[in-house]
Amino acid sequence: MWSNRIMYTQFVKNTRHVLTVSAVCLGLISNAQAQSAAEQAVEAAKQYSGVTLNVLYEAGLQPLDPKNFTGPLWEELTGIKINVIESPVDQMFTKAMQDFRSGSGGYDLLNVIPNQLPDLAMSGALEPLDDYVDKYNYHEELQGIAPVYRDNQMKVEGKIYALPDDGDVLILYYRRDLFDDPANQSAFEEKYGYPLAPPETWQQFSEIGQFMTDAYEPETYGAGLLRQPGNAQYMFQERFRVEGGRFFDPDSMDATVNSDIGIKVFTEMRAENSWMPPGVEQWGFIEAFNAFLAGDIAMTISWPPVGRWAAGYGKGTEALNWIPETKVADKVGYALPPGGTPELAVGFSLAVASGSANKEAAYLFAQWMNSEEISLQRVQLPYALRDPFRTSHFASEEYRSRWSNAGEYLDVLQKGAETGLLDLSLLQTDRYEEALRQAISRLWSGEDAKKILDDLAEDWDQLTKRIGVDKQKRVYADWASKPNAYP
Amino acid sequence: MLKTLLDNDRTFRYLLVAPAVFFILLIGLYPFIKLIIASFQNISLFDDIRSFQGLLNYERLLSDDRLWHSIVRTLLFTAVALPIELVLGYLLAVLFLEKIPFKAALISIILLPTIISPIVAGATWRLMLDQRFGPVNQIISWLAGTDVKLLWTVSASLVWPAILIAEVWQWTPFMFLLLYAALSNVDREQLEAAQIDGASWWMTFRRIVLPAIMPVMFIAVLIRALDLFRVFDLVWTMTQGGPGTATETLSIYAYQMAFREFEISYSAAIAFLVIVLLTVFVVAALRRVEVSR
Repeated sequence: MWSNRIMYTQFVKNTRHVLTVSAVCLGLISNAQAQSAAEQAVEAAKQYSGVTLNVLYEAGLQPLDPKNFTGPLWEELTGIKINVIESPVDQMFTKAMQDFRSGSGGYDLLNVIPNQLPDLAMSGALEPLDDYVDKYNYHEELQGIAPVYRDNQMKVEGKIYALPDDGDVLILYYRRDLFDDPANQSAFEEKYGYPLAPPETWQQFSEIGQFMTDAYEPETYGAGLLRQPGNAQYMFQERFRVEGGRFFDPDSMDATVNSDIGIKVFTEMRAENSWMPPGVEQWGFIEAFNAFLAGDIAMTISWPPVGRWAAGYGKGTEALNWIPETKVADKVGYALPPGGTPELAVGFSLAVASGSANKEAAYLFAQWMNSEEISLQRVQLPYALRDPFRTSHFASEEYRSRWSNAGEYLDVLQKGAETGLLDLSLLQTDRYEEALRQAISRLWSGEDAKKILDDLAEDWDQLTKRIGVDKQKRVYADWASKPNAYP
Repeated sequence: MLKTLLDNDRTFRYLLVAPAVFFILLIGLYPFIKLIIASFQNISLFDDIRSFQGLLNYERLLSDDRLWHSIVRTLLFTAVALPIELVLGYLLAVLFLEKIPFKAALISIILLPTIISPIVAGATWRLMLDQRFGPVNQIISWLAGTDVKLLWTVSASLVWPAILIAEVWQWTPFMFLLLYAALSNVDREQLEAAQIDGASWWMTFRRIVLPAIMPVMFIAVLIRALDLFRVFDLVWTMTQGGPGTATETLSIYAYQMAFREFEISYSAAIAFLVIVLLTVFVVAALRRVEVSR
């Protein structure tokens, strides 16, 4: 494990040396010898030396990768400068579309949230990448991306528009010490009739959470989940489908989110708040993360960085000095959330802006970053928010040795990458999500679950009518036909 | 010919201001005309269609319940917040007319919230009212002697009071500053004469103080009323218009339509409606002042 900044700096330096030497050697070695995708990208990109690429990234920790690692390294190897433009995640789509509509060509490479890919691609904002993939022999390495990302976050209507670049998935983190405690185990089994273990159903989750809260409150509560509507909507999407819910009637395209299953999920979500920490309704990623690291909650469900930072990975890194000291470093267990089909919430794919004046250079930078060898380094950056997304990342011995149970962490992420559920993706998806976010905020304010969901279904129906029922039906049918749309 | 024009005083004055008027029209009128044109079109960020669709957007305005609810909410918020800020600002100003120690320093401190950006004020209050980290609930719990869980930015019954507290905290000092300046200029001799004549507090206030501060008070109220009608930042940072659309003001709704739902033409129609409403309000208010003079 990197325990301090010096080791991290050494790592970057070594990587640079290795890649620089590799690049120099490439010029000497015979063409007959096969080049990796990263090497090919570097070689081809040299013709664009002197160019500056504008790259759109989510504001926060995400851009530290191109700013501190890939950007400087790429410039050293190719002479192409990387200019990172940051945006809050909820404005990235707007900025990309505005740039496209205005024709200003402000961005060359975009980080695209996969469920917004159809909107961006079908409006013409993205450049099809098939020709570049062929030209630079990237097909083989693309196959190394975990199937759920590769098959669902790359193509629109059969064409490649983006390179899946982030293994986002919501998994369960739990306190092994509390779960393994013999007194807890016997007391729990006596009360509920089954062994205390990571919950496999939402009912078990609720029972275990209540049990832990009863045993440890107020020092520790059973769980603390992401309840801010922007985050909680993903949890609802997952849970609703785990319980058997369907978002729409595929024939009429009428919203069916207000079914009995929807009401059950909403009702249960609100009921759980009663045994979670007071004020959990206001919790987002940071609040839940802090609480888990502080030992205030026994379980949480969140994105992959929580799992590694809670284990102490990246401790001492300057960019992470805002993270509180973890009190649970050797006590973190990893599991799939109840239902076993986690939400692949958000994620990022790399796409070339159609308005870019440097499309090929932008593609080559994307291919290089996304390649087997460079991406493996990127997902191990202590401060990075890029999560493992290639089969080789999960299997990497280097990564698996980063902390005591890093292997367990990677195994769970890999399972998530097999069974994970896709975020709902339609035309103008964000408008449907916005209505869902509003519904969730009403849920926390105490309104009737059925009334909220009826209103949500009505909002969705109106949206569908405005966009065009037949048009949306086709897009929904395409999405729903994917193996990871429904469990 | 030119000499004749320049010799005419009236023409010469118009010529002098003509460039400024031209630039103001260019900067102010062009976007306005563009906005009106867009409001008759069907522009969305999602497609290239720019077709004209007549009055459809305006028809939609009439039947858009969410829009009218947001207008009613905005008006109610203005109607509640404005008098509170006015009264508190006036009382503070009266207090500061007296000789009090460290007056200048205290005035500077009181004015601090007004200097802060509303975004920062909203974020600060959101933290202050947070159940886990905020001091407000901790203080209330301490006073009540029991753990109090008040979800200020989540609960439908608490969210407006929370916004109102933040709004009054931030903008009462603005009222105070203008009214303090106005009160400082009230004729002392008139006040003393009224006192000698045995006029009551109310009579003195109504006949001497109020007429003297009225022009400044009117401007202060007008500025704050316009600001409150357009309120966005404070509410957005505290609740984003939630829960549901419970705190969605007119500006937030217009923002949602333009930048979350990408309905450019419809949001142009909303913007035009706002311009019309505010123009009617300002013209009526100015006319009333003219009449009262």
